[in-house]
Amino acid sequence: MGHEVNFEWCVMLVKVRAFASFREILGGEKELDVEEGSTIRDFLDKLAIANTRFKDEAFDESGRLRDYVSLMKNRKRIDSEEDLLTKLKEGDELAIFPPVSGG
Amino acid sequence: MIEITKEDFSIDEMIKRAKREDAGAIVTFLGTVRNDGIDRMELEAFREVLLPELEHIRDEALSRYSLKSVEIIHRIGSLHVGENIVAIVCSACHRDEAFQGCRYIIEELKKRAPIWKKEIGKNGERWVGHE
Repeated sequence: MGHEVNFEWCVMLVKVRAFASFREILGGEKELDVEEGSTIRDFLDKLAIANTRFKDEAFDESGRLRDYVSLMKNRKRIDSEEDLLTKLKEGDELAIFPPVSGG
Repeated sequence: MIEITKEDFSIDEMIKRAKREDAGAIVTFLGTVRNDGIDRMELEAFREVLLPELEHIRDEALSRYSLKSVEIIHRIGSLHVGENIVAIVCSACHRDEAFQGCRYIIEELKKRAPIWKKEIGKNGERWVGHE
């Protein structure tokens, strides 16, 4: 009983928005629960464990995020490895997409 | 005006909106679906980011090239060969600024605007720029 109450306090909802090839792999828009204190990188790892197609598309053999993967947290670009260590908060929106090709 | 739309648009209407008494030059760029052995393309956008990004690009062009006005329309959805994809109309006092401003906007849009194209043909489909 006590364990269940504790669990509810430790998860939070994060919205994922995927576009183009990543939308086809992950679905367009969904909310996922993650452990409180998770970083963007933790969240991506969780997505990769749940979806091997996403893992192959987003990460190279050494587990590094591929250069062509773009991320935005709350509509601001995540540009560096350091940014990936940013902790997520309840209600954050993480967008994932490949190189743009408009015009 | 900046617009993201599934509908086709009128370049004439854009030019009417761009005209100014103090502008002696209007340059238009129209991008259309090229026949590279495809039947059609699907375009999708991250709208909430796209609009502010296009506004930034417009504002940069207005100040860098002393443009008098800028009109941008980009379509999304399913488009067949020959259909309009994007139009940019710039007015300026003189042609140099209008040409340069229009060029700047389409080049920056291609680099920065969150829009994706998928080409669909008899031989399958592929996301452009994602080899």
